[in-house]
Amino acid sequence: MPLLTESKVFIRPDGPDKVTGSGRYVADITLTGMLTAKFLYAGISHAEIIRLDVSAARRVPGVLAVLTHEDVPERRFGSIADRTLFAKDVVRFEGEVVAAVAAIDAEAAQKALDAVVVEYKPLQVVTDLEEAIADGAPLVHEGWADYEAANVERNGNVASFTSMTRGDVEKGMAQADHVVFGRYVADATHAAPIEPRGVLAQWEGDRVTIWSSTQVPFQARDGVCETLDLPTNRVRIIVPHMGGGFGGKCGFHYEAHVAALARVARRPVRLVFSRREEFIAPDRRREGMIIEITTGLKSDGTLTARRVRVLLDNGAYSADSSFFPHMAAMHTLGPYKIDNIHAEAFSIYTNHQPSGSVRAPTAPQTCWALESHTDELAAVVGMDPVAFRQQNCIDTGETGVAGQVYDEIGLQECIREAVSGIDYGQDLEDDEAIGVAVGWWPSFPGASGAFVKIDRDGKGVITTGAQECGTGSVMTLPILAAAELGMEPEDFELVYQDTSVAPYDEGATGSQTILNNGRATVEAARQIAVQLKNLAAKKLEASPDDIVLADGRAHVAGSPESAVSIVELAGVAAGGELLLGKGSGTPPEYPSAVGVACVGDQGLSGWAGPQFSCHAVKIRLDRETGVVRVLDVSAAHDSGVIINPIGASGQVEGGVMMGIGQALTEGTVYDEDGAQKNPAFLDYKLQTMADAPPIRVHFAEVHTPNMGPHGSKPIAEAPNVATAAAISNAITKLTGQPVPRLPMTAQRVWETMRGGGDG
Amino acid sequence: MTEPITLTVNGLDYPVDVDMGRNLLSVLRTEIGLTGTKEGCDDSECGACMVLLDDQPVNSCSYLALQAEGKSVTTIEGVMPADGLHAIQRSLLEEGGVQCGFCTPGIIMSTRALLDGNPSPSEEEIRIGLSGNLCRCTGYAKILAAVIRTASDN
Repeated sequence: MPLLTESKVFIRPDGPDKVTGSGRYVADITLTGMLTAKFLYAGISHAEIIRLDVSAARRVPGVLAVLTHEDVPERRFGSIADRTLFAKDVVRFEGEVVAAVAAIDAEAAQKALDAVVVEYKPLQVVTDLEEAIADGAPLVHEGWADYEAANVERNGNVASFTSMTRGDVEKGMAQADHVVFGRYVADATHAAPIEPRGVLAQWEGDRVTIWSSTQVPFQARDGVCETLDLPTNRVRIIVPHMGGGFGGKCGFHYEAHVAALARVARRPVRLVFSRREEFIAPDRRREGMIIEITTGLKSDGTLTARRVRVLLDNGAYSADSSFFPHMAAMHTLGPYKIDNIHAEAFSIYTNHQPSGSVRAPTAPQTCWALESHTDELAAVVGMDPVAFRQQNCIDTGETGVAGQVYDEIGLQECIREAVSGIDYGQDLEDDEAIGVAVGWWPSFPGASGAFVKIDRDGKGVITTGAQECGTGSVMTLPILAAAELGMEPEDFELVYQDTSVAPYDEGATGSQTILNNGRATVEAARQIAVQLKNLAAKKLEASPDDIVLADGRAHVAGSPESAVSIVELAGVAAGGELLLGKGSGTPPEYPSAVGVACVGDQGLSGWAGPQFSCHAVKIRLDRETGVVRVLDVSAAHDSGVIINPIGASGQVEGGVMMGIGQALTEGTVYDEDGAQKNPAFLDYKLQTMADAPPIRVHFAEVHTPNMGPHGSKPIAEAPNVATAAAISNAITKLTGQPVPRLPMTAQRVWETMRGGGDG
Repeated sequence: MTEPITLTVNGLDYPVDVDMGRNLLSVLRTEIGLTGTKEGCDDSECGACMVLLDDQPVNSCSYLALQAEGKSVTTIEGVMPADGLHAIQRSLLEEGGVQCGFCTPGIIMSTRALLDGNPSPSEEEIRIGLSGNLCRCTGYAKILAAVIRTASDN
């Protein structure tokens, strides 16, 4: 039974703040005496710092703090501990922070930056992935053998590495009637939330409060504690309203810089990024890749073997990218039945901006490559690409590439519904085509907690560490709590995004809120349900086991007239044992993957609660110009049972639209020195409403055992996986061969039509 | 160098001293204290800073505050009538056209300008009318539905 009736319109609780302009984002908050922060960036991609002198900057009128590496503890951080708050000795990408200032206004801060004396000795820049791992390549990190890191190999510029083997790939290739090879190159892209990030820090005594536009407040807090040597209970991170993240605001960013400035200046300090800074500085870019896939198959379409090699542009530092090779390997192997596989994936240090989690990290690029390749496989054996996928994709009870046997899954339903939604066999104009692609994405069980209370008037508050960057926690958690207590979601308010108030949560990362904080909220609400049933049982002279909570009342099972309202019970509780619940619960375990041998294993071969998708797109190609227009999209998703339909379809529509951008217009262009050439919306084009096609959404609501509440699975990242791949397959039907580079810009499409293309 | 001017915002007059190079967005957000208008790019590309100047939509990041003197400025804070939400605001909420909300004020201002000039726009006219407002969350589908609904309720 759905948790919300279909006719129910549940307005997101933070919605009125957002449509009236009264909701405050970080850049909207000012404190008395607040200073403006600005950073001095390297502005050069690889160089030795031979002189750094901030004495003149400190003398600029109106400047209250100027900091460099000398002014903070010497600490390295990151998934590989290769990063420091401020550059010391060497800068490794253009957006590396060399110095930070706090001044009474932006003009004074800029004057201080201009007065910093810094001299560089340029070092050889590493940008090409193949050259970076060749013998004798200059090293991005000379001393990285000394950095702390878990389970990574140390080899030249290879930051992290995975190899996966199952079966015998040579034997499988030998059994094949056809062996097909494809090479694909993806450019880097950006999360590009419309709100540039902001951080505001204020000290009172030895405690600091930091308002930050972070998706992961607890991780941000821990970063501050680690780099500034502070205990967790002295650092409070509050996230006010937040203008989108898409992974770009995951991780620990500039909270420590701003806190350090505020401590020295003895004033509140606020940092707000410009759009250019938002592009060049954060360690959260979607990495460029080179993807090579070789597949053996029989003439009847059976896949006998797959070998993949993926090179990922790690950039200069490893924010959270050490698990990316493993993810890239799994995604390049794909949701297919193949018994013989071998995958190698390398995340390679370069002098580009660091890579980090952007919505479904590694998946859109690898899915684009694999699914373009899959259409080629179908063509080689003369099969329809949809039938080819129906034959080869995994289904319930079948074994995937890593040896995992999947529980109830809905991939086949996704394929069926996506192609039916777009009317796959329709007559098309000769400049139109339909392309189809499948995708998958794991779920990430983890620790999380929530408190729920009901006050004397029967109104509830959920206090949670969950984060809300637009994704809908403010809807989903009240829906879940209300369902446990027979109340309405409108009866609940959320107190959230405050590390000193709420229990730990991983934040808006890995699409994990529904899975982990959902579990915690349900558990907390269940404790209150027990309290309410006990109170009602006394009142109604029945056994607590016979009490049912529904429609705002507690009644005796089978006797709906024998009832008491929850408001009345809340009034009773307010004078005695208060209605308080706390929840955390045990996260579901990761399933084991049998028979796969991994080097550099980040524990992600066995996928908990894998989500599946199939996207079908109809496009029109202007053969004169290479311009592709997406006319129609049908997206089918298995994200388990859907808890919040309007939020879930909103995630799919947004993910698809981001995928269209990545397919056609979004790509970072680097100059030969490793600097971004298009760090602005003028040259890095997001899709507009004029570009937006209709998007039909279907949910294959497979009740998923042992995962999120009510058989649910996460949703936010999965829609950003398969769209670019589906567009590629539609384009190929019109150009005759795939565009070998992402984004498939008009120029690249045009060149492909003429037999060129810069793979 | 600052210049004393009077800006008329949401029907109220505000005397302010502004530097001649200051943009309208910055003066609205700081001196006047209305932070509902957002800065997303400072480049007229994202539309988050959209306000109405004598009922015409303008990217306030790229408009000098001085130029706004003598004109009537409407920001998101001036949209809501006394008796509750404006129809555009209500439709956006009910259709699910709001996620992170950062583009929302700009979307509402552009929609209001569009519907004031053309109460029954076609879908194509809506798509073009709102093509200066970037939204990264919604894929535009539910925003489009909300504008269509607002227009049909007119």
